Amino acid sequence: MKLFLYIFRNVRRHKLRSLLTVMAIGICLMLTTFLYGFLAAREVWSRESEKYNRIVVMHRQGFSGMVPLHMLDKVRQQEGVIAASPFAWFGGNYGDRTQFFAQFGTDPEQLFEVWNEFKIPPDQLEAFKKNRQGCVVDRELARRLGVQIGDRIPLEGTFYDVNLDLELVGIYDPPELTASLYFHLKYRDEEMRKQGATRGVDNCGMIFCRTASADIIPDLCRKIDEQFASSPNPTKTQTEKAFSQMFVNMAGNVQSFILFIAVFVTISLTLVAANGMAMSMRERTTEIAVLKAIGFPNGQVLALMLGEAVLIAAIGGLLGVAAGRGLYALAHAAVPTIIPTGAMPWSVMAWGMAVAGGIGLASGIVPAVLAARLSVVDGLRRIV
Amino acid sequence: MDHSHKGPIVAVRDVYKEFYRDQITVPVLMGTNLLVQPGDYLALMGPSGSGKTTLLNLIAGLDRPTRGEVHVAGEDLGKLSESALARWRAENIGFVFQLYNLIPVLTAYENVELPLLLTSLSRRQRAEHVRTALEIVGLADRMDHYPRQLSGGQEQRVAIARAIVNDPLLLVADEPTGDLDAKSAREILDLLGRLNAEFHKTIVMVTHDPHTAERAKTLVHLEKGVLVDGVLPGSAPRLQVDGAVMSPAAPPVLAEAPS
Repeated sequence: MKLFLYIFRNVRRHKLRSLLTVMAIGICLMLTTFLYGFLAAREVWSRESEKYNRIVVMHRQGFSGMVPLHMLDKVRQQEGVIAASPFAWFGGNYGDRTQFFAQFGTDPEQLFEVWNEFKIPPDQLEAFKKNRQGCVVDRELARRLGVQIGDRIPLEGTFYDVNLDLELVGIYDPPELTASLYFHLKYRDEEMRKQGATRGVDNCGMIFCRTASADIIPDLCRKIDEQFASSPNPTKTQTEKAFSQMFVNMAGNVQSFILFIAVFVTISLTLVAANGMAMSMRERTTEIAVLKAIGFPNGQVLALMLGEAVLIAAIGGLLGVAAGRGLYALAHAAVPTIIPTGAMPWSVMAWGMAVAGGIGLASGIVPAVLAARLSVVDGLRRIV
Repeated sequence: MDHSHKGPIVAVRDVYKEFYRDQITVPVLMGTNLLVQPGDYLALMGPSGSGKTTLLNLIAGLDRPTRGEVHVAGEDLGKLSESALARWRAENIGFVFQLYNLIPVLTAYENVELPLLLTSLSRRQRAEHVRTALEIVGLADRMDHYPRQLSGGQEQRVAIARAIVNDPLLLVADEPTGDLDAKSAREILDLLGRLNAEFHKTIVMVTHDPHTAERAKTLVHLEKGVLVDGVLPGSAPRLQVDGAVMSPAAPPVLAEAPS
């Protein structure tokens, strides 16, 4: 600590050079922190879903297949299924089409039984169950859309050939932002029949079930799939965690790509920072020799040079991680459906600072070793 | 620091030093012998390339001889490891360089404090030492100034304060007035003289300037790596050159000064 003053003053010695190095590290870490925050949030969703003992029944073909609604009753009859609700993605346009959010047709009788962590006032739930054109949204989405109970929410069909005229009857509070709207699936089918559309009627994309316990899930999944194995619509039943992991896996290549780019950007940045440190050391050869002459041991000279490199990288890292967190919060505010939470996991920020420390050590190690091994006599340039 | 050393404080015995450049061996010191007594103020003179700075570096423990022995305060420097030698320098040697070599990002106070950071002294004790050293060199009122805010003479005085702050056994000065104007050079030589006379500091100084060398008690000439001549401008003999083992090219000239 006694030598921190010297390290700090050396960082400030060439202000422009240090500033540029700090900025380079900061910008690099801002972007990588933001990207890793985004990927980590998906992992968090996957881990969170583990808590709720839910399973998802979908067509064996995955998202491209449909699950007929008549299968819903058979799923509900399985031992250990407490509640089951269909989920049919609608994907309609709302208003001036600048607001994107998920819309699902479902069964109001079962929705809040399956997702029992969602909180909704009983009177609003009753209103939802009774009103065929009723819909519910989470509180954050209601705020963002600027809608209140009683407002009309018209949806223009894009995937389905039908438009829906919904009325907001309830606002629920989920533990994490869902940015979703739920409506009666039966209302969609009625409207489709009225308008002569047939594609997708009496079908849903998946069935979500809440089960009695985690222990029965493997058997239950197997039994459901066996039940429909020889039907025209064979199923693939999995835990909610496995289902959410599908989305993470879909981004798998992107994740690897981001990692690949981040690693190479970090390496090139380390080399740039190392060049700066090497220049700094060369300029101070005599000074380092003087330090050694007055008794500074090699280890301490090494620590001084490394300390300088790590301090520069740590300042850059701190600014970069803070900026990345800020960017993440801004992105959450702008596109909450893509970034559902504004709180970046601490592990991502800790990882960012660790990378900054690594850049500091890697960029400083060669100049520091050279400085530590410098011959005092050569450094003083007075050989004879 | 215990300065009650008996016998010569520096004993250079039959020292050879060679440098290797592009596979060519360049001999710099060739069988040099030198004894320096405690409290002496010795000037090493000689033309460029004569080996005076090389000899100073060996005495200060900055370099190792190719052959021969260098003992300082009874310590055989050749037997010390790199880290032990660094520790030894921190405790026993004070350096004064031609170009002052202050750390530009540190104030005068912080520059002087630098050698004390290697000790276990408390912050308060370090402050006392630094203030005392700066008062001795007459710069107590400039302790918050950075080197760029000081004149050359003042910078060299700060460098001297840095050299004496840990109360070393031996002060080594390499051309301490080589970069100064005449007035500043006189002030620095006065200061070195005072350190020797009042504080009994043993000083070994390299210079090529006869006027500077005149201030020393003892004068030694080096030419082509050997001691060739010695005069004693002062009154008392402090230097002994072991003529028996000197190079034939360098006859023994100094034994006892006339009283």
